Amino acid sequence: MKEQDKIPTGKFSRTGSFLKTGAKVGGNYLKYYGKRIIGEGNEEELHKDNASDIYDSLSKLKGSALKVAQMMSMDEGILPGAFSQKFSQAQYSAPPLSYPLVVKTFRDQLSKSPSEIFSSFSKNAFAAASIGQVHKAEVEGKSMAVKVQYPGVADSIHSDLRIIKPIVSSMFKISSSELDYYLEEIGARLIEETDYKLELKRSKEIALSCKHIEGLEFPKYYAEYSSERILTMDWLSGKHLNEFLALNPSQDVRDRIGQILWDFYDFQIHTLRKVHADPHPGNFLMREDASLGVIDFGCIKEFPEDFYMNYFRLMEPGISQNDEKFTKLLFDLKFLLDDDSQEEVRHFSKMYQEMHNLLCTPFFADEFDFADGNYFQEIYSMSDRFSKDKMLRKAKAARGPKDSLYLTRTYFGLYSLLHKLGSKVRTRSLVNLIFD
Amino acid sequence: MEIEIKSDEEQIATEEMIIQKYQEYILEHGKEPPSIYSFCKELGIEEFQFYEFFNDFHQLAGLFWLTKFQNVKERMTADPEFANFSVREKLLSFYYGFFELLKKDRSFALISYPESKSILKGEAKNLKPLKKAYKDWAKGLVQEGIAKEEIAGRLKLSDTYDNMMWLQFMFLLNFWIDDRSKGFEKTDVAIEKSVHFSFDLIEKNALDSAIDFGKFLFQNR
Repeated sequence: MKEQDKIPTGKFSRTGSFLKTGAKVGGNYLKYYGKRIIGEGNEEELHKDNASDIYDSLSKLKGSALKVAQMMSMDEGILPGAFSQKFSQAQYSAPPLSYPLVVKTFRDQLSKSPSEIFSSFSKNAFAAASIGQVHKAEVEGKSMAVKVQYPGVADSIHSDLRIIKPIVSSMFKISSSELDYYLEEIGARLIEETDYKLELKRSKEIALSCKHIEGLEFPKYYAEYSSERILTMDWLSGKHLNEFLALNPSQDVRDRIGQILWDFYDFQIHTLRKVHADPHPGNFLMREDASLGVIDFGCIKEFPEDFYMNYFRLMEPGISQNDEKFTKLLFDLKFLLDDDSQEEVRHFSKMYQEMHNLLCTPFFADEFDFADGNYFQEIYSMSDRFSKDKMLRKAKAARGPKDSLYLTRTYFGLYSLLHKLGSKVRTRSLVNLIFD
Repeated sequence: MEIEIKSDEEQIATEEMIIQKYQEYILEHGKEPPSIYSFCKELGIEEFQFYEFFNDFHQLAGLFWLTKFQNVKERMTADPEFANFSVREKLLSFYYGFFELLKKDRSFALISYPESKSILKGEAKNLKPLKKAYKDWAKGLVQEGIAKEEIAGRLKLSDTYDNMMWLQFMFLLNFWIDDRSKGFEKTDVAIEKSVHFSFDLIEKNALDSAIDFGKFLFQNR
C-alpha cells in the first residue's frame, strides 16, 4: 500500500478536492446529456463515472467525508448500484499514516512506544478504518488488532460536514434545510466515534448482553493498551463478506450466518434499544463454521423511549390499513407536518404507506428469502420514483425524526448484507412484544 | 518553583548552575535579564566567573535548543527500531520527538524563540548552535538517502537539501509556536504533510527524467 502523501485537513485543501469533484461530476453529466441527445445515453454508465470520481476525491479526504461516503454506500436501495459498489471499497483503500506518527501517538497516549508494549507490531497498517488504521500486534503469542486514530479527526468533522453539504444536497436532491437537521445527528455520532474509550466501554457492554446469541463472537478489548485514540482488541479470524463469498459457502452456512445477523440486530434494536449502527461489510468477519465475528463499535445509536414506541407502532400488523391511526402516527413522528396542505397529507401518507409496506415485508412473514433480487429491485425503483417526486422535492422542511436516520441505515445495511449473503432467514422479531 | 538566591553568600559558579538560573530567570520574568552584571549579582557570582563559561545570553539560549536536539538524537539512536527506518521515517521521528520534548519547556521556548523574520535573514543567534548541529545531521541523512536511493542525487542541487530541510524545520517550529490546537495535533499533521511533500520532491521523479532527457538531446543534437 502506498503511504499517504498528505492529509488535507485545512478547509482550503479539502474544498479544493471537492471542487475538483464537482467539476468532474458536472463533466460526466454533460457527457451523459450529450450522448442522450444523440440517443445513446446510458444512465448506469453515468452513475459509474460519477461514483468513481466522487470516490476518488472522498478517499483523499479520509475523516468524516469518508464516513459519510460509507454511510451512503449502505443505502443500496436509495443510491444507484454503481455508487454503493464503489463506496463499499472505502473501508479498504484509504492510505495509511507513517509509522513514526503511530509511534508518536503511542507515546502521547500510553507513554510507551508500540515496541515496548507488544512483542511484535506491524510497521505498516494492515487495514484502514474510516478514521484510523489497524495494525496487527502480538503479546505473549496472542494476536491483537490495534486501531490507531488519525490526528485532528475530531477537529475536522464540522468543517467537513459544512463542505460536503452543498454537494450532497445537489447530488442526492435533498434540500439544504433538510440536510442540516440530519447532519446535526450525523455530526454527533461522528464525534462520538472519535472517542475510543467510549467505544471500548460500549463494545464490552454489547458483547456482554449479546453473549447468549450462539455463533456470535466479539473480540476481547484491552483497556491497558487503549486510550482515546488507540484501541486494542483480540485479532478475530474470518473473512470479510466478498472474500467469504469467494469461498462458495454452502446455502446452509449462508442461512445460519444470516440468522445470527438477524437475531443480533433484532435483539439490539428491540431489547437493548441501542444498536451497532454500522452494518458495513468491513465490520463483520465470517467463517466457514457458520460463526460470525463483529468488530468496530464506534457507531452506536441509542433510541429514546418516545421515539422507539412511536416509531415501532408503525409495525403493528395491519396498521397501514387503518388510515386514521396511521396518519396520526405519521404526524406524531413528524413525517407529516402541521402546516402541510390537505393534498400534501394525502399524497405523502400514500407514499409512506407504500414505502412502509414494502420495507416491512420481511417482518410480515415467518421466513424471508433475502436472496430475492426482485424485492430489492422493487425497493430500488420505488426510491428512484420517490427521489423524483415533485411534491417531495419542493417541500423544504425536513421530514421524519432524526432518530430514525441511523435506524433506517441500520436496516438498509442489514438487508443489503443479507441480500449479498443470499440468506433465508426466520424473521421472528422481538418487536411483537410491544403489541401484546 | 522558586529558588531563593542569597546574594550575600559566595556561590561557586558552575556551567550547570548558570544555565539553570538563566532558565529560571526567564521563566519567572518572561524576558532576559537586563544585563550580565545584574544577572551575576542576583546569582551572587562575580561577572568574570560568568565569562569563564559564556560570552553572552545568546550562547545560553543556544545551549537550550542544542540540548533538545541532542536529547532527541540520543533517544532515537537508543531505539532499536530506528536503524531500520527509511530516511523519510527518520526525519519524521526526529520532528515528532523534538516537539514532544519541547512541549515540556514550551514557556521557555516561546520566550527564547526569535522572531521568524530574523530566522529567515539568518540572524537568529539563539538558534545558531541548533542550526549547525541540525544541518550536519541533515547532510548525513541526505547522503544516506542517496545511498539507499530514497533521494535522487542531483549534483549541485542535492548539496542544498540540508538548507531546505533547515527551512522546513523552522517552518514547523514556527507552526508549533503558533499552534493552539488540542495537544498540538495540528503540528503533527503539519509534520506529516510537509515531510511527505518534500520527500516527494527530492526522490527520483519526473524532474530526473527531464534532466536525463535534456542531457541526451544536448549531447545528440
